[in-house]
Amino acid sequence: MRFIVISFITLTMLTCALETHAQGLIDGFMRGQRKASLAILGSQETYDTYYINTTETKNPNLGTVTTQALTVVGTYGLGYDLDLIVAAPYVRTQASAGYFPKQEGFQDVSGTLRWEAYDYKFGKTKLSWQFAVGYSMPMQNYVNDALVAIGRGSQNLDGRTLLHFKAPNFFITGQYGYIRRGQVKLDHIVNTYDPSQLNPNSGLKVNVPDVTELIIRAGIVTKIVNIDVWGQRQTPHSSGTDIGPGIPFPTNAVGFTRVGATGYLRLLKQFGLVAGYSATLDGRNIGKSTQINGGLVIGHWTANN
Amino acid sequence: MKTRCFSIILSTLLLWLTGCKEPVIDEGVLPTVVPTSVDANGGTWRTIILKSASDIAVPQPIAITSDDYKKEFSDVKNGVLAATPEQNTAVNYWAAGGVIRWNQIARQLVAKYNIAPGYDYATGQITPASAGNPYAGPPFAARVYALLSVAQYDALVVAWRAKYQYNRPSLEQQGVVSRVPILNVPSYPSEDAAIAEASCQMLAYFFPNEASWLKAKATEHKQSRLWAGANVPSDLKAGEDLATTLMAKVIDRAKSDRFTEAIDPANSWQTALAKAPYDQKWKSIELPERAPVLPLAGKVKTWYDSTAIFRTLPAIPPATTSTEFQKALSEVRDISNTRTRDQWRIASYWDNGPSTYSLAGLWNFLVEDLIRQEGQNELRTARTYALLNRTMQDATTASWQTMYTYFVPRPSQIDPEIKTATPIPNAPGYVADRAAVSTAAAIILAYLFPDETTHLNAQAAEATLSGLYGGTQFRFDTDEGAKLGAAIGQLAVTGATADGAK
Repeated sequence: MRFIVISFITLTMLTCALETHAQGLIDGFMRGQRKASLAILGSQETYDTYYINTTETKNPNLGTVTTQALTVVGTYGLGYDLDLIVAAPYVRTQASAGYFPKQEGFQDVSGTLRWEAYDYKFGKTKLSWQFAVGYSMPMQNYVNDALVAIGRGSQNLDGRTLLHFKAPNFFITGQYGYIRRGQVKLDHIVNTYDPSQLNPNSGLKVNVPDVTELIIRAGIVTKIVNIDVWGQRQTPHSSGTDIGPGIPFPTNAVGFTRVGATGYLRLLKQFGLVAGYSATLDGRNIGKSTQINGGLVIGHWTANN
Repeated sequence: MKTRCFSIILSTLLLWLTGCKEPVIDEGVLPTVVPTSVDANGGTWRTIILKSASDIAVPQPIAITSDDYKKEFSDVKNGVLAATPEQNTAVNYWAAGGVIRWNQIARQLVAKYNIAPGYDYATGQITPASAGNPYAGPPFAARVYALLSVAQYDALVVAWRAKYQYNRPSLEQQGVVSRVPILNVPSYPSEDAAIAEASCQMLAYFFPNEASWLKAKATEHKQSRLWAGANVPSDLKAGEDLATTLMAKVIDRAKSDRFTEAIDPANSWQTALAKAPYDQKWKSIELPERAPVLPLAGKVKTWYDSTAIFRTLPAIPPATTSTEFQKALSEVRDISNTRTRDQWRIASYWDNGPSTYSLAGLWNFLVEDLIRQEGQNELRTARTYALLNRTMQDATTASWQTMYTYFVPRPSQIDPEIKTATPIPNAPGYVADRAAVSTAAAIILAYLFPDETTHLNAQAAEATLSGLYGGTQFRFDTDEGAKLGAAIGQLAVTGATADGAK
């Protein structure tokens, strides 16, 4: 169960081709000491409209952009209150029109430690407060400065806190996080106009704007099936650029609001299937995408205990 | 206890994460150039637009023993001690070198205006170009850099001649402790005032909407030399006046170089396209189609011998039906299908498309380091830029002339399956202006900085191949572009050997 939720968020997040990396990997369900699981998830995301700043745009020289991803997620309970979550996606993205080449390859590997700091039990319900820190980095030097790219190539540090409430057949989790994105090296010298630049003697490195993130997720939980709905809002925290000719893509300020739903079906004790759908409601310098995903979950499944 | 510690650490980490503000683009800090030579014979160097430095007479300065001078002098001397933090910031900024700073300003303005008129993806509107908001595409940019450097160079040759004619001692020799290192040359007329006035007027001619901003920059530049303890007001006045006299002539040259017609308001390029001898003709492959950029920029007046340049223009490339062409096409297709990360990097590095300094500006940027390493003084820096930028503008002009003679298509027009690492320029492909400009630039720079020859040649070779790696040019585009650039580079070297500077 925990597992599923994890998987879904992972899926949603990891496969957003343009800007999102391995954030949002975590849910509110602790794994349990020495319990492990593994998920293999596939997804497909498409958009034909994207936001320049917050204005919706279609580009006949781009057409529809389709991004497919295959992600492996492993989780392990290091202690009764401490989990390790590791994920690695392989991504392919291409445009239907114009002359942008297809991009394909391993994206960013991420590792997250989640710690349950406090928990309060009231009869059959439980409220817990958790913290998580995560780190992600590109697995290879992929192309990061293009409209059609698998990622932005930054190393990221992710800190977040979660408040998780669980009743026997219902849960709701709220989380708030800050993702610090490191500098990236472009292939070319930064030579665009920047009125605030006192000294325009720039090198190859640019900053990638940091973001804050709010996720709320609620659902029903049974022994066989669980279904949940979620909303996610990512907001650029530091100043950034907008998509434009000559503007390096990694410096763009990226934000979005997405909603989605996920379902899990348990087939065997340690084997289940997941599927989900999500849509972008609004955004900033990102594709207005819809996504479908599905996958297998193998391992220790400890929902409802 | 343990958990409490952990939560404190986590909370601190979260606070730390959210607390940081970061700039979008990282900036380096320029070291101050300490010039190694004063070039006392600089006043005899061959000027470019003026017939010689003596064309402009700089009036005799008042004697340093006069009361007026003594008053100026003591004001500056006391002002140095009373400088505000803002004044010091300005002093340090301009101490990095007036020519270098104005070159940077020009690059920034080129980047700002380097957005093609036409279809705007953000609004879906067609934006027209206007005189106040010019489109600073490659030929425009090359011309901005060339004319700016030429104006600075001629102004400085005139200033140098007057300096050693009148020999007004520098303020340092008269006991002023300056805030920054000052070149040990006579102080009258001020080279900084000459650079500031010439640069400001030149750039305001290109970018009329920026005139008041430029004027403020120039005023700050001139004043900074008083705050630094480098000049007195009469030094500045003389520098400013000589530049004003010069700029009338430079702007005449700019007005008569046929660039205004390069925009081709009558669309005569369509007639040229119909008459073009190549068997398959270029067309815009953007959606919607756009008219080409400055199609008549090949007719612009050259700096070096135009007969010699036009003699070297390449012949027609192999027809699309020939096996040679098919071989060239399959080479681009193979690269497009198997492009390595390093080929992508090279294509991206030399692309310099819209909203950038453009290719000529990148070379201006790259040469900054060489100038600083060698510790060139203002006059020599201006000469370096004037040689480099005239060469690059001529290479651009010759490339444009070739492009709009033959109208050879880009690889993706012949085979739409060829995907490119960089946007496809909306212009014919033969010859590659990147190859021509970079090869020409490397040749003149190797003459000026012989120790760097190997590195410069490697850079030019990379720039030449970048279009092929990116999938936007054929090998014959890049090879012939490099040959054209080499011929123009040689003309520039011949000119440089005879200009009086050693």
